[in-house]
Amino acid sequence: MNIALIKEYHEDMPRRQAQQLAVEYLERVDLGHIAYKRNPALNPEERFCGMLLRAAMVKDAMILIDQPFKIIPHLKDIQFITTALKKIDDLYLSCHIYDYKWMEEKYGEL
Amino acid sequence: MTLSREFKVGLFIGCTAIIVVLALLYLAAGKGVFENLHAFTVSSKSGDGFTEGMPVVFSGFNIGKVQALELNEKGIVLIKIKIPDRHVKWIRSDSAFILYRPLIGSARIVVNTTNLNSPPLDEKKIPEVIIVNDINDAIARIEPALERVTQIADNVERLTSNLSDPKGDLHRILSNAGKITTNLASKKSLVEMVVSDEESVKALNDSLKKLKDITTNVDRILTKVDKMADKTDSEIYGKDGALPQVNVILKDIVGKLQKLDKTIDNINKISSDTSEGTKDLHILRSDIDDTLKTVEDAVKKLDAIIGLKKAPEFKVP
Amino acid sequence: MMSFWENLGRRVIQMLTAFADTIVFAGKVFIRIFRRKTYSSAMREVLLNQIYFTSVQILPVFLMVSILFGSLLIGIVFQLLKEFGLTGFFGHVLMGLIVTELSPLLTVLLITLRSAAAINTEMAVMKVNREIKTLEMFRIDVIDYLLVPRVINGIISIVLLSSLCSIVLLVSGTLFSWLIFGMSIDVYTNILLNATNFSDILIALFKCAIYGFFITLIPIRFGLRASHELTSIPIVVSQGMVNVFAAILIIEVLSLLTKLL
Repeated sequence: MNIALIKEYHEDMPRRQAQQLAVEYLERVDLGHIAYKRNPALNPEERFCGMLLRAAMVKDAMILIDQPFKIIPHLKDIQFITTALKKIDDLYLSCHIYDYKWMEEKYGEL
Repeated sequence: MTLSREFKVGLFIGCTAIIVVLALLYLAAGKGVFENLHAFTVSSKSGDGFTEGMPVVFSGFNIGKVQALELNEKGIVLIKIKIPDRHVKWIRSDSAFILYRPLIGSARIVVNTTNLNSPPLDEKKIPEVIIVNDINDAIARIEPALERVTQIADNVERLTSNLSDPKGDLHRILSNAGKITTNLASKKSLVEMVVSDEESVKALNDSLKKLKDITTNVDRILTKVDKMADKTDSEIYGKDGALPQVNVILKDIVGKLQKLDKTIDNINKISSDTSEGTKDLHILRSDIDDTLKTVEDAVKKLDAIIGLKKAPEFKVP
Repeated sequence: MMSFWENLGRRVIQMLTAFADTIVFAGKVFIRIFRRKTYSSAMREVLLNQIYFTSVQILPVFLMVSILFGSLLIGIVFQLLKEFGLTGFFGHVLMGLIVTELSPLLTVLLITLRSAAAINTEMAVMKVNREIKTLEMFRIDVIDYLLVPRVINGIISIVLLSSLCSIVLLVSGTLFSWLIFGMSIDVYTNILLNATNFSDILIALFKCAIYGFFITLIPIRFGLRASHELTSIPIVVSQGMVNVFAAILIIEVLSLLTKLL
C-alpha cells in the first residue's frame, strides 16, 4: 500500500480512494493480489512492478530505471519490463533506462 | 461483525472525551460556575489584606469570592463580592462582614448573620468590613519582645567590640594574667610573687616563728588552767565540797518547815480558840521565836557556805 | 589532569548540545502540529493507526491495571489517613495526590513501557531498512508523515487515558470511602468538590500533554539516530528509553515547581 501513500501525501487523496487506485494499477499489470503484501513477501518481478507503479504515482512522473536486470536477475530479456511500462504508459511522461554497455544484448532492438 | 479501526478509534476518542467533559461539567456545576451570581459591595478604609479571588465564608463554608477591588473618589476601598444564587440567603441586611487574617492560612471575609429572618441585603447598600487581624495582633505582641531582643543584640555588639578592642578590658586582663604567669615562673614562692619583695618575705617568716613560740606558751598556760579547774571541781563537788553541805542544810530546812506547818495549824487552832482566852499566847510566841531563830541561823550558815565557795579566783601565771 | 577537565568539558558541552538540539527539534515538530498542510490523508491514516495501537488496543489492559492498582493505592492511602487521624485532608489527598499526580504518572509509565519502546524500535528499523531514505526520495516529509502523527497520538492518548484513570480512581474512591470511613456518596462528592481546584486539573491535563509530547518525540529522535547497521538498533533503543525516563522525571519536577510557585 506504499503505492497509495504518494497520492495520499502529495494530493491529499482519501485513503480508500488512493488504495483503490493503487489496486487498479496493480491489476493492470496482473498483480492485484499483491496489494496488501509487504516487501519481503514479494518475488523480484512483483517487487519491480511495485517500484515502477510507485514511481508512476507521482504527478507528471519521469521514470528512470537503473540496471533493471539487477532488480530481476533471472530475466533473459527486456520484454517483461517493456510490457509493464506499456500497460501504464498513461501514468508517466517519459521513461529512461540506464544500464552498462555489456548488458546491451539483453535489450535487443530497444 | 468486525468493527473497523476507524470506528474503534472514533468510539474511544468520542466516549472518553464525553466522559471527561461530563466530569468537568459536573465539577463546574458543583462549584457553581453556571449559577447566577449576586454582586454585593462592601467597603474598607484600607485595601490591605484584600485580594481578588479571596473566599467569602459563612459558618466555615465558602459561599462566594471577591470579584474585584476598587478605590473610590473618597479614597475608600470598595470590595465587590460575588455570591451564587443558592448562597445568597445567608447575606441579610444585618450581616456583618469581617476580614479575618489568621496567622496561619489564607485571609478570608467571614459573613456573620445574627438574624436570618431580617430582610436580604440590598445590592446597592455598602456595609463596612470589620478587620480582625491575627497578624497585626501578633506583631503588636511581638514588638516589645523585639525591642528587648534589639537591646540585647546591641549589648552583645558592644561586648564583642570591647572584647575585640586591643585597649579594652579583656586585653588588659589578659596582659596582666600574662605578667602574673611570668612572675609565677620566675619567683621562688607564691608569697614572694604576691608581695613582690624578698625582705618582706623574710620578716614574715620571722613573725611566723615568733607566733609558733607564743602558741607553745599559750598551750602551757592552758594545761595549768585545766589542772586548776580539776581542783575547783573537787572543792565544789567533792565529798567535803560545798554542794553536799548545802544539800544537808536544805534537808534540815525542809524538816523545819514541816514543823512550822504544824505550828501554823496550831496557830489556826489557837486563833479559833482566841475567843476562849489568850493564856497560851506567850508560850506560842516563844515557840515561833525559836523557830524563826533556827531558820535564821540556817540561812546564815547557808550564806556563809555559798559566799565562801562562790567566786574562786585563778591566777594565771 | 588536563585531560580530566577536557573530558568533563566535552561531556557537559555534549549534554547541553543534545538538550538544545532536542528542544529545537521539539520546537520544529510543535510548529508543524499547527500547520494545516501537515494533516494530509497519509498523515491522518498514520495518526489513526497510532491512536489505535497506543490507546484502543491497550484499553482493556489499561482499565484493568487502573482498577487494580488504583484501588490498591486508594485503599492504602485512605487506611493511612484514618490511622494518622488525617481524615480532614481526605479530599485534598484524593484530588491533589492521586488524581492530579499519580494517575498521570501511572498512565505515562504504562504508555512509555508499551508504546514509546515500540516507536523507538520502529524508527530505528525504518532507518536501517532505508525506508526513511525512500520517503525522502518521494518528497515525503519525515516530520509530517512520521513524527507529527505519533506526537499528536502521544498527547491525545496520555490526556484521555490519564483522565480515564482519574475517573476510575474516583469511582473506586467512592467504594473505599464507604468501606473505610463509612462515607456516603453525597458526602464524598461534596468533599471532592470542595477540594477540587480547576487550576490543578488544568495543570494536570497540561502536564499529561507535555508527557505525551516528549515520550513520543524522544524515542523517534533516538530511533532516527540509528546507522544503517542492525547492531545500532538496540543501542539507540536503550538510549532513547533512558532519555524518556529522564524526561518524565524532569517534567514531574517542573510541574511540582509550577504548583509551588
